[in-house]
Amino acid sequence: MPIDSTVLANERVPVDALTDPVWTRIRDLIYQVSGIYQAENKFHLLVRRCNVRMKAVGSRTPREYLDFLTERPNRDAEMRNLLNEITIGETCLFRSMPQVEALRKVVIPSLAEVKRKLSYTKLRFWSAGCSTGEESYTLAMIMLEESQKTLKGWTFEIMATDLNERSIAKAQEGIYNDYAVRNVPPDFKKKYFTQAGSNFRVADCVRPLVTFSRLNMLDDSKMLFMRGIDVIFCCNVLIYFDGKSKTRTVNHFYNALMTNGYFFLGQSESLYGITEKFHLVHFPGATAYWKPNEPVLKAGSA
Amino acid sequence: MTMETFDRLRSRITSIDSMPTIPVILRPLLRCLDQPVEQIDITRIVELISYDKTIAAQCVRMANSALFGRHKQVESVRTAVMNLGMWRVRDLLFSNSLSQVIPANRWIVDPTVFWRHSLGVALVCRKFAEILGYPDTEKAYLAGLLHDIGILVNSMVAPEEFRAAFSKATREQIALDEAERATMGFTHCDSGRVLAEAWKITPDLIQAIELHHDIGDPVRGGPLVAMVHLSDLLCRLRGLGYGYYEPRQVDFANERGWLYLVMQFPNLADLDLARFTFTLDEYAKEVEELVSTVFTR
Ligand SMILES: C[S@@+](CC[C@H](N)C(=O)[O-])C[C@H]1O[C@@H](n2cnc3c(N)ncnc32)[C@H](O)[C@@H]1O
Ligand SMILES: [Fe+2]
Ligand SMILES: [Fe+2]
Repeated sequence: MPIDSTVLANERVPVDALTDPVWTRIRDLIYQVSGIYQAENKFHLLVRRCNVRMKAVGSRTPREYLDFLTERPNRDAEMRNLLNEITIGETCLFRSMPQVEALRKVVIPSLAEVKRKLSYTKLRFWSAGCSTGEESYTLAMIMLEESQKTLKGWTFEIMATDLNERSIAKAQEGIYNDYAVRNVPPDFKKKYFTQAGSNFRVADCVRPLVTFSRLNMLDDSKMLFMRGIDVIFCCNVLIYFDGKSKTRTVNHFYNALMTNGYFFLGQSESLYGITEKFHLVHFPGATAYWKPNEPVLKAGSA
Repeated sequence: MTMETFDRLRSRITSIDSMPTIPVILRPLLRCLDQPVEQIDITRIVELISYDKTIAAQCVRMANSALFGRHKQVESVRTAVMNLGMWRVRDLLFSNSLSQVIPANRWIVDPTVFWRHSLGVALVCRKFAEILGYPDTEKAYLAGLLHDIGILVNSMVAPEEFRAAFSKATREQIALDEAERATMGFTHCDSGRVLAEAWKITPDLIQAIELHHDIGDPVRGGPLVAMVHLSDLLCRLRGLGYGYYEPRQVDFANERGWLYLVMQFPNLADLDLARFTFTLDEYAKEVEELVSTVFTR
């Protein structure tokens, strides 16, 4: 019996339903456009999301749907729809534990060490594109916790901004259903929430730490006012911007950050091809971009 | 460590009768794997595997695992081998033979954690080699797989001290070699080198084992050392570490090993490291599957 050489040559064959190479092309396209990477072991999610869009536009095969994303006249709109589908319902409190841990165990201690030397005991955060406030309150709770442990006597400020006024209003309300708080560690849930019917209301001690306001990140004149920030979070927002606006926005973030400051994107988002001013740094299970003392060219790019 | 202390360590390790012996299966396999994949005789491999009931069963089990989804139920070893592909079969063989290097009751680090890490580093290291255009990707794989064998040596020759070192590392969330140096005066890199020399592994692999944490400045050894070093770091940062949280921040593009590799392989500078990192999470799943196949008996 002849040996099927493709079996031998092809190292790692994924599940049959997902083997259609078109998925890989759609994945790569999404990455190119948005910087969001769908790992192969998450393909079932990608496929599910695409299926929703395929039904909506009436395409029957992935191959045909790829055309909708690349060839058809309103391909940009369709890409936006797909990205919406991909980021939908993603958000919740304590969404990324590795990010939380990186913040608590590495980022905050290292920022605090530098600041202590300057006798400056304040940290400022910015949650950009905060939507309904889950990430902002998560930050506030983490900082409250630290202020009782390693950072006694420090002050914190969390600015949370979004374009969408309805989201901002919802964020200010600070009431979440049990699905949104499913990742909150039990002791945090007890300390920092009060039960409101079947929902959870953010406790009064947390609220003053966060200031919500409307801000369009494409509004240069407003963005110029943001200064002196230590850590910026901007998760799943840049994906909607075109290349130029992305670069412009990220430059604003760069200027808004203090030296040694950190910039976090979503769990599987990257800044590749947008700017090289930041250093990509790795923490256990998470990555972030770090603002070095002086802009340094990337290794090897002479 | 000085020559003198190293010599003392060597005689200490080689004098004990429980020194791990090189798995018999490893030698012919290493030779066999020197051939390009197309020349590997699948019939012969299936035949070899069928002699070993455990491995045969594992191949079949893995071919039926969730990783391969909704394939028809696989029953024959031959179909299993075909479905798995040569690489995975080889992974299985290696993990099996190496897992028997020390007796089951002598492990100090959880064996599944150890193999997850070793296999993870092997896969990442081979991927690195491919990206760089490093000619011997199989060697890179092997260097990754073997880089931490010193941990096995330490478990055998200095169990109590090593247990203390490992629990210090876990408790204080520091690097294992740092804890070893503090409590034992030598590291798994030193003892790994002794074992590797005794096993008469090739010099570049010995170097990768000896220098994978402390690669030197300037980098000692060759690209293999730097590749293993970086793969080890990456795995520890992506859930394939030693089973405890290591609070650290790594700036790979400015890491000594990375800069060294960029000098030798300029194309590395163009690598989208963020994306590369995300793909590693795909390996974690694969490694998980493999290790649980080998360890659920
Ligand atoms: C997918 S949500 C992400 C929300 C949250 N950061 C998260 O990760 O779950 C995208 C958010 O970006 C906001 N957004 C989109 N374009 C914006 C702009 N130009 N300026 C400010 N916010 C914007 C939207 O209103 C929306 O709340
Ligand atoms: Fe090691
Ligand atoms: Fe290691």
